[in-house]
Amino acid sequence: MKNTFEIVYSNPSYIIIAIGIFSLLFITLITISEFLFFEPFVVFSIYPENTFSFSLIIFLSLFSALAVSMNIYRIKLIKETRKLGSSIIGTTIGVSAGACSCGPIAFSLITTFGTAGSMASSFLTIYEIPIRLTSIGILGLVIFVTTKSLSHECKIKS
Amino acid sequence: MANTKKIAVGVAAVILIVAVTAYASSYMSDFDNVPRKVQNNFEVIALGSETATVTIVEVGDYQCEMCKLWFEKTRPQIIDNYIDTGKANLIFIDMPFLGRDSVHAAAATYCADEQDEYWDYHVKLYELQQHVDDGWASIDRLHAIAFSLDMNMGEFDKCMKSDKPYDRVDFHKQKAKTDFGANSTPTFVIVNAAGDSQKIIGAHPYSTFEEIIDSML
Repeated sequence: MKNTFEIVYSNPSYIIIAIGIFSLLFITLITISEFLFFEPFVVFSIYPENTFSFSLIIFLSLFSALAVSMNIYRIKLIKETRKLGSSIIGTTIGVSAGACSCGPIAFSLITTFGTAGSMASSFLTIYEIPIRLTSIGILGLVIFVTTKSLSHECKIKS
Repeated sequence: MANTKKIAVGVAAVILIVAVTAYASSYMSDFDNVPRKVQNNFEVIALGSETATVTIVEVGDYQCEMCKLWFEKTRPQIIDNYIDTGKANLIFIDMPFLGRDSVHAAAATYCADEQDEYWDYHVKLYELQQHVDDGWASIDRLHAIAFSLDMNMGEFDKCMKSDKPYDRVDFHKQKAKTDFGANSTPTFVIVNAAGDSQKIIGAHPYSTFEEIIDSML
């Protein structure tokens, strides 16, 4: 596994892709989850009872960055996109989770879709932690399978 | 061909994530829409001194998780340092949009107000808050809260069956949008005697309020 990471991230392009994906997701999620505010001035705030939720955001962003960048490498190597789809689905589910408590996204959902929007918002809020854990699980599996697969493909190629 | 489809799905998912990011950041740049002069002549119940030079307007929903977080973490320090000292007062504007029980909970506070228990009822609702529409703010539970506050239950029941508290909720909901431009909860507007105002979106920590209120005193 270590060898596979070395192969992929020996190319600085994939490090940049991973950092970009991590930053985008991390900033989006901590902003939506109201850990970070940009107005009226930049404020970062985390309460002790929200530490777990914040940790999940870090893991979700990290796993997404690894899964997507490794799968981009994989696509370039063998032109196969199945696992990239899985990693993006995992990321999307994780990003959606907990993004709809009482912020503007919930408001838009509810005003646009009425009862269905309200139910969706409520569901995502209630099951925020399990959904994020599931997403991290999916992404972990994708990383594991991709690593194994890359290791095998690299051996054959070499 | 199959790979092209999968790539298209992947790209669509990435676009969705970027769209969410763009939406989240765009609402934060909406601060220019804050009304510079806020009308204070509507039916509201203020917590604190009437002569306070700063008014903190909170737009909230009793089922909003982040409103509860603000209630627990930031509000107590504001009460201690600005409300109790007579520097500021606090007004709560209802914007019940998260579920059907949000409207009933807001209406119940106005029935409590008829017995001068508005703020006690308000506090109880946030203390007891659970998940949206899971029954914690059902009509029966709202009655139980009134009972726990030793309110006159006959009057409370009669009030809850009338249109009056619901009319007040509708009035607030309309004001939340038109006067304060709120499209999420919690939203705060801090107004001073000179009519200057500053909008704060989200459950900001105490430090944000401290900095803004001190600059407006």
